[in-house]
Amino acid sequence: MEKMKTEVEVVKLPITNELGFYEIRMESIGGFGANLAGKVLGEAGILLMGYNGSNFSSYGSEKKGSPVRSFVRFCEPDVQVRSNSPVTEPHMLVIFHEGMVGINPVTQGVSPQSIVVIATSKSPAEARDYLKLQGGTIHCVDGIKIAVEEKTRVNTALLGAMCKASGFINPDAIKETISLNLGKKYAFLIDANLKTFDRGYAEGVSEHFEDDGKYPFVPFKRKGQNLGYLNQTIGGALTTPANTIHKDLSASRMGWIPVLNLSKCTSCGECDITCPDYCFVWDNGVDKKGKEVRVLRSIHYKHCKGCLKCVEICKFDALESRKEYEVDPKILEDGFSE
Amino acid sequence: MAVKTDEKKETKGTSIQKVDFKSGNEMAAIAASQVNYHIMGYYPITPSTEIAEYLDEMAANGKHNIVLVPADGEHGAAGICYGATTAGGRVFNATSANGLLYAIEQLPVQSGTRFPMVFNLVCRSVSGPLDIRGDHSDLMTTLNLGWIILLAKDPQEVYDINILAVKIGELDDVRLPVIVAFDGFFTSHQKRRVNFFESSETVQKFIGKNNPPYTSVDVENPVTIGPYMNDPDQINNKKQLSMAMEAAYDKIQNVFDEYKKISGRSYKFLQTYKTEDADVVLFIINSAADTAMEVVDKLRKKGDKVGLAYPNVIRPFPVNEIREAFKNTKAILVADRADSYGGWGGNMTIEVKAALKGDLDNKTIVFSRIYGLGGKEFFPEDAEEMFQLAFEAAKKGSVNVPYDYIGVEPGNPSYVPKKGKDPISLKESSPGVIKVIKDEKTGNLVVKGVKQRELTAMPQRIAPGHGACPGCGIFPSIGTFLKGVEGFVVMLWHTGCGMVVTTGYPNTSFNVTYIHNLFQNGAATLSGVVEMYHERQRRGEIAKDQDITFIMVTGDGGLDIGLGPALGTAFRNHNMIILEYDNEGYMNTGNQLSFTTPLGHTTSTSNIGSVGKGKKFHHKDSAQLFASCHIPYVFTAVETQYKDLIKKAAKAAWYAKHEGLVFGKILSDCPLNWKHPDHTGQAVVQAAVDCNFFPLYEVERGITTLTYDPEAKGKKVPTEDWLTLMGKTKHLLKPKFASVLKEFEIEVERRWKRIKAMSEHPNL
Repeated sequence: MEKMKTEVEVVKLPITNELGFYEIRMESIGGFGANLAGKVLGEAGILLMGYNGSNFSSYGSEKKGSPVRSFVRFCEPDVQVRSNSPVTEPHMLVIFHEGMVGINPVTQGVSPQSIVVIATSKSPAEARDYLKLQGGTIHCVDGIKIAVEEKTRVNTALLGAMCKASGFINPDAIKETISLNLGKKYAFLIDANLKTFDRGYAEGVSEHFEDDGKYPFVPFKRKGQNLGYLNQTIGGALTTPANTIHKDLSASRMGWIPVLNLSKCTSCGECDITCPDYCFVWDNGVDKKGKEVRVLRSIHYKHCKGCLKCVEICKFDALESRKEYEVDPKILEDGFSE
Repeated sequence: MAVKTDEKKETKGTSIQKVDFKSGNEMAAIAASQVNYHIMGYYPITPSTEIAEYLDEMAANGKHNIVLVPADGEHGAAGICYGATTAGGRVFNATSANGLLYAIEQLPVQSGTRFPMVFNLVCRSVSGPLDIRGDHSDLMTTLNLGWIILLAKDPQEVYDINILAVKIGELDDVRLPVIVAFDGFFTSHQKRRVNFFESSETVQKFIGKNNPPYTSVDVENPVTIGPYMNDPDQINNKKQLSMAMEAAYDKIQNVFDEYKKISGRSYKFLQTYKTEDADVVLFIINSAADTAMEVVDKLRKKGDKVGLAYPNVIRPFPVNEIREAFKNTKAILVADRADSYGGWGGNMTIEVKAALKGDLDNKTIVFSRIYGLGGKEFFPEDAEEMFQLAFEAAKKGSVNVPYDYIGVEPGNPSYVPKKGKDPISLKESSPGVIKVIKDEKTGNLVVKGVKQRELTAMPQRIAPGHGACPGCGIFPSIGTFLKGVEGFVVMLWHTGCGMVVTTGYPNTSFNVTYIHNLFQNGAATLSGVVEMYHERQRRGEIAKDQDITFIMVTGDGGLDIGLGPALGTAFRNHNMIILEYDNEGYMNTGNQLSFTTPLGHTTSTSNIGSVGKGKKFHHKDSAQLFASCHIPYVFTAVETQYKDLIKKAAKAAWYAKHEGLVFGKILSDCPLNWKHPDHTGQAVVQAAVDCNFFPLYEVERGITTLTYDPEAKGKKVPTEDWLTLMGKTKHLLKPKFASVLKEFEIEVERRWKRIKAMSEHPNL
């Protein structure tokens, strides 16, 4: 690492658990940069803000699109770091994509003392209902919109929002760590990222909710595998062919979707060749002359990750790339526009 | 706001040390760079891979002199390391899980012929089923290999133990190789505040000089290394090895104490925490010991007399320290993160019991719990449960259940897994769009009906919902190939991106039968399937008129490490297809170079920097390798020329059924690691074809035919037009890399002309 310039006075942590930690849990999807956000936060906290602490992530294979959790623990400099287990009761929970909610139990362990930072266009009150939170301080920032507009990633916008919401994470320390991490190799990205950070810091909206009995506390749950040692097929074999079709991968999209305009579509079939996610829905139909042919009906958005390869290949402009947050939700439901 | 401009430093022991925030893998790399090993032979495997990546990045910027040698697999890596140690310098390696098991044949050679080296084992669960997370099932297979085994529970210890390992292994009457084991992900990928010596000099002074008694490159003093040695001699060689372990047992603590003087950090055979007056003790190794320590403090506050013990050394095993530490302990729970199936306790349990048996006065109850297999997280509550069990045993004076698992679940008996799709029938998978006709006069195959619109009727053998990255090139490549194959299909996929993203338990994207095997061995495995199928047909156990197309899918990585068995399959000419999706690197483990990575391309193990110029050698040509095996059909293809690809797929299926092995290679882009936007894959792949880097051709019964000639079509572009589209190659267009680009272009042109000549001359 390059030499750090800034070192700020140690600010006392606002709240800690019985072991002396302020604990942060980030819930994300591979490719959104939660791992890097955790690293930046940890580095800034330990090397510039004077805390002791740790950072680690829990993820499977290194793919975009799969769930990732990143954890950061801060403690006063004289406290020893020994805990290796994931954060179960976060002081701050960060949700990188609202589409994850409902697919993964992201809000476990959140209490009215927690701060929840979420990338969403919803208001804090709407987000509270969406997340079914017992209470807490909810800080909403439209991170994906900022990232799309600045051509960056949502992680930097969320780092800005986390600083603002936390009340103790120093924005200068984070900005310096971002610059150092991008370094000489990605120097051309520094300005856009710092702007993304500033917007994330400035554009978030907070509101606190007491436990008003509307929703119960959701504890961190470790058990509950449906398949266990009494009912797994021996050897780990799966006898449920093609059951990934039930998965909803919408949260993999980073702000863009292809929109299929059926009035321009000739059902040529090239999009079907290039789609990595096999999203195009075909059917038997008849052409203008009444001949039986294959016809493209729609895009199955549940499996579309927004790569836009189909837009690139379509010779007839029947596929168009659009900002997802500007698209009529009916198109996502139907899978096409007229 | 106070601003300090100094980098953080502090004095500990007698040395100035830097303060930083680093992971276990980063600390292993920093230690290795300061030891400045001569050679590292390695092969990437999660989660140890980062060590080679960090070292390569440092090497690219001239930060150390270690020569990093990418092997063809872990077995090859261990061979490179072995050879290098015989030649007299210092040698380093790192691996995990099945990487260790693949290398394991070499490890007793290393210890039995007494060449010290340091091998980092970043502990991970051994397959199968495949699991990338951390447990100790790999570590426990190393107990009988004759290596010293040191353990590090956190990133700081990883650094320190790595330096200690060099000195310990090279002690005069020891001269043994050393494993440094730490926990995958929990330690390897966790960042903590750490110290390391400001100056490499401190490390160099501490480890001193290596004094091998002989080397393989001292021509004035020839030596025979590794004569064959039966009885009555070999047992004496092994006695010497045992004596070396005894010497290590005598001397390791001195080395630890010496290190404490310079570092301020203390290591012991057996670390104990509040065991002096403890009634019950938890014995647990590596990262879980940290978490357990928190629980000891918590329970002590309540007045519970609990203690914790964790070793820094398990070979030689600290028998005396264990007897001494647990003289008055009422009960010990030994928690093992690996089982010795059928041994009624993990290996650590068995060894702690054996150690205490040496003290005839000892009355301690010792029992076993298996925890955390496959990387299952270890929470403070788990440690509390263990202490509770130990208290119950201590109170009762006996133990009800001496061996059991913690953290397992029976499952929900009423749960019925949701089905995906109905199996594809023969009728559905044979829409009859494509026809392969053999011309009776010439014997040549003619493929008809390659119409992408009609082919949308072909059922998806791979279903949607897989977890590949947006824009992944694998699925259009393989999916399009499968459109050309009618009828039943059985597939085997090697370990790799394609396999990992389709079959994460309890989900599978496959709507046909699918097998995974580790990527050393998929071709051999599928040849076994094919032979069994045909033999069972011959014996009437399976209908004789049934027909299956057997397809093995591999990445380019699986054809590096698995090349031997794949060539064996080719020599035997089994009726099956080997399909390689070549994305020019080990993308599943995070973009390390493969043998198909072209010259000068950057990967995480071929960095550019003040001295680094990307990959140092040319790309492997797997299509020509298989062509030289004289199998019936070899082809190359790309997704962008999909009609060509589908046609070749149809021919491949025909040849696999009628004549024998088919090998196909599909250049398949990886937006993430080729560093191009998700939507530009087609343009990138087509440019690779149009600049003649990836010629499209087939070799049919020995006759080579170009199926697309960019020059003839007026589509030829300079290589720069391809390289400029990818972040991994943009640097090649800068003047600094002009000589690399030139060398690459010459090689591309040479190979293109060769294929073209072969296409023009049926005798070539």
